[in-house]
Amino acid sequence: MAVGNVGVATVARRSLRVRVRELIDREKILGPVFVTPALLLLVLLVAYPFAMALYFSVSNAFIGRPSHFIGVQNFVNLWQSDAFRQTFQNAFVFTGSAVAIKLVLGISLALLLNQQLWFKRAIRGAVLLPWVIPTALSTLGWWWMFSSLYSVVNWTGIAVGIMDPPGPNWLGQKYYAMTAVVAVNVWRGLPFFAITILAGLVSIPRELYEAAEADGAGPVGRFWYVTLPMLKPVLAIVVLFSTIFTFSDFNIVYVLTHGGPINSTHLFATLARQIGLETGRIAEGAAISLYLFPLLVFVVYAQLKFVRKEVY
Amino acid sequence: MEPISRRRFLTTTAGLAGILAAGVPPARGQQREISYLAWNNFAPASDKKLAEIGQRFTKDTGIKIRIDHIAHAQQAAKYASEVQSQAGHDLVEMRMHFPWLYEPQLVDVSDLVADLEKKYGKVISAGYETAHVKGVWRAVPQYHLFFLATYREDLFKKAGLPVPDTWEDLYKVGKELKKMGHPVGIPISQNYDSISTAGPVLWSLGGMEIDKDGKTVRINSPQTVEMVEWYKKMFRDCMEPEVLSWNDASNNESITAGKAGWIHNPISAYLLARNKKMVTADGINHHRSLAGPQGRHDTDVPRHMGIWKFSKNIEASKEWIRYLLGKKEVYDEYIVSGDAFNLPVYTNLQDHPVLKTDPKFAAVKPEGVQLHAYGWPAPPSDKVQQITNLFVLPNMIAKAVTGTPTKEAIAWAENEMKRMLAG
Amino acid sequence: MEGQSARRLRWKVASHLLLVPFLLFALFPFYHMALTSLKQDRELYDRQAVPLLIRQGPTLDHYQKLLWESAFLTWTKNSLLVTLLATTLSLVIGTVAAYALARLRFFGVASFGTGIFVTYLVPTSLLFLPMAQVVNWLGLGDSKWSLVVTYPTFLVPFCTWLLMGYFRTVPKEVEECAMVDGATRIQALLRIVLPIAVPGLVCAALFAFTLSWNEFIYALTFTSSSDQITASVGVTSELIRGDVYFWGPLMAGAILGSVPIVVLYVFFLDYYVSGLTAGALK
Repeated sequence: MAVGNVGVATVARRSLRVRVRELIDREKILGPVFVTPALLLLVLLVAYPFAMALYFSVSNAFIGRPSHFIGVQNFVNLWQSDAFRQTFQNAFVFTGSAVAIKLVLGISLALLLNQQLWFKRAIRGAVLLPWVIPTALSTLGWWWMFSSLYSVVNWTGIAVGIMDPPGPNWLGQKYYAMTAVVAVNVWRGLPFFAITILAGLVSIPRELYEAAEADGAGPVGRFWYVTLPMLKPVLAIVVLFSTIFTFSDFNIVYVLTHGGPINSTHLFATLARQIGLETGRIAEGAAISLYLFPLLVFVVYAQLKFVRKEVY
Repeated sequence: MEPISRRRFLTTTAGLAGILAAGVPPARGQQREISYLAWNNFAPASDKKLAEIGQRFTKDTGIKIRIDHIAHAQQAAKYASEVQSQAGHDLVEMRMHFPWLYEPQLVDVSDLVADLEKKYGKVISAGYETAHVKGVWRAVPQYHLFFLATYREDLFKKAGLPVPDTWEDLYKVGKELKKMGHPVGIPISQNYDSISTAGPVLWSLGGMEIDKDGKTVRINSPQTVEMVEWYKKMFRDCMEPEVLSWNDASNNESITAGKAGWIHNPISAYLLARNKKMVTADGINHHRSLAGPQGRHDTDVPRHMGIWKFSKNIEASKEWIRYLLGKKEVYDEYIVSGDAFNLPVYTNLQDHPVLKTDPKFAAVKPEGVQLHAYGWPAPPSDKVQQITNLFVLPNMIAKAVTGTPTKEAIAWAENEMKRMLAG
Repeated sequence: MEGQSARRLRWKVASHLLLVPFLLFALFPFYHMALTSLKQDRELYDRQAVPLLIRQGPTLDHYQKLLWESAFLTWTKNSLLVTLLATTLSLVIGTVAAYALARLRFFGVASFGTGIFVTYLVPTSLLFLPMAQVVNWLGLGDSKWSLVVTYPTFLVPFCTWLLMGYFRTVPKEVEECAMVDGATRIQALLRIVLPIAVPGLVCAALFAFTLSWNEFIYALTFTSSSDQITASVGVTSELIRGDVYFWGPLMAGAILGSVPIVVLYVFFLDYYVSGLTAGALK
């Protein structure tokens, strides 16, 4: 009897469990259940701070003081600032050139890494190194390499004979300073490009190349008519990611030049920090960092659409 | 398989909840405990001494103290986030003008300062200018360090060069120094040392950026023209273009490595060379700040101790300040551990024993020198600080030395300053 | 036949030669940092010394100073703990979200997908201020757990996005087969889809690990006690004092700080590449 009762109870409980399980298993329910953790995290920890940042940008917020709404005045006033207009220009020069260089070098490097190599693993690992060193410290290392006193870059350049002593004033002259910060950004970001594009190369079916070869295409033709078109979605994604990250870069400029000389390397993030934190004018700082948010959203939306269309 | 996974998932969640709950600092409030955030002092021995004094404080008063340190460059971000979240440390170290910046968030400590002044004499002028905000002491002056001349005495002696007394003298010896391959090292870049030198040069000529009222821009003046012209000839004849690229560490590195013959800095360069036993250490010495037609001025970096209003341990925090600064023997001990990098900020303590611990400290006395914070004589309001922090002064000079006509560079600076004061 | 293999060999050699400039560019700064960390101060600060070699004998002083005279080991332990937990947490949250977005049809699925991506665009330069408020509400002020909670905000979007691509490459039929055999969706996910998606998971994990290991600003502002901070924060605040940089130990910190990740990558590199192949690109 007792045994039977337990059995009945178990059956009843199990059927309830089965029912719950079946309920949860329905797409309309399982879907929301599965995205809830991510949603909660993003709403709690991103949406609220983001809303606050938005509010800052349209207020007269100053660190630790009461603030009130003032509309788009910050955005308007900023445009009159010399430093801001310069920053605006720098951001495009910096992002544009860094991403372009990374793209070209990244494709070349990926093509090379895709060849038959003797120490494949070691070489791939070495290429990845700049990507894994903590940025806060590797940029300091670069500063040390560029510093006027001990510049190993200039020392080597002079030793090899491609620079006249004392060599370029890397961080003190407008164009050299921009070159230096772009170079460090390329150094750091190239591995991401190379490895991701390499992954794209690996996935191109061999038959396509064989077919192209049968049609008489040489190496250049194969690259142009097979590799590039097949890589297009990968490239779009990589460029998209890199543009976002490069645009919001902070550490390299902060450590290497502090935005100088004469604001010629300031980026949105470094200027925002300078004004928002060092000076305490959070409102203006927030306006600087949000200035191009609408544009970024638009670009990303368009590009994502393009990628989706290409892939599916 | 599946139930186990689910259970595992549940345990993980429960664990996290537990962590979230347990993450609340448990002991606070039960026992009296305060936390104090200080910068990483350049003289590491003084940080060790501070910790030691902290332990004695706990033994004597029963109040626990936790002392955290942070790099100078990160202070702004850290303080902003503590103020924004109204939580963090009870006491914080306030550099230079910080009491003005965080004024509404800081406890009135006028009573503490009054006691200290009774004991040690008035707070020195730079301390008063920066910590006494609109009639109220917002932080207790702790110690200060100021800019003076660091030079290669050995090179000067070898070449028979006189020790300069005015900025104009510096130009004369600077020309010789550059010929000897040991140029003068005054940064003209987006760093704080650049401002620290440009200010004194301008003041000693009788010029200023903003007037005392904090509202009237006074940069477009004959004095500024004179200052810019001085910089131009210094840049041309006494220095190398490298100074356009320097950060705060560069002038130190240049003189300790044996390149620069003269720099304008607190004594950190010498201390580094001495402590690391570098070959240049013996040859480096200091001399007092340079003068101009309108007197002898220099940049001062006073440091204060402030208490956040959101602190729940204001009384205990005050007790710590009284313990560290109010007991003469403790304060002396603390100052001495700072290798003359940390100097007392009260008038009667100026001739401090620490200056006798090394013959090279003989010149580290601000006698006859007027010490000020950035932007003097304007009060360090947020707008004046924006002008400082956007490096308007060094950038004006940088423009002029790299080819922009002097008038144009000054007009640019005037325009930027006016815009920032208005905005 | 022989002509072809000779040509192949020549091409192989040429590839290696062409790789040399890339490798120099990638490795030179690393070499220089390693050198700096091994030089004696006397040589390090000697302007006449050849910067590319160690002439006066290497020293481990800087490493010793870092390891025994600072709390570097504690900071590294914190870094490891935070990174491992944040990575795991993000991976779990990202996996279920990605599965839902890739496989299930429900209300709001499309807008959620876009929303996740847009979080990437939120400029981080001042976000940490209001986030510090949230951290404090959660009672996690000055605790490394605050980092475990906040790092996923930038890790989850990436993991979700990468795994979403990966799950799409797993043929639906495989899963349906299992479900016909009586398995639930969750069982199918755990037993069928996840094992196939291992390279994608490894790839996402590596990426997340790297990002959180290198994170700086949250670690700086949300924690301050010496027993809570992470390695990058500890190293920079201990070794940059005012206007003096202690180059030897700083660079020793950079080298030691990258070792754990280098080891991970060496082990999982192939997974990383194949994970990206299938995940990021589809």
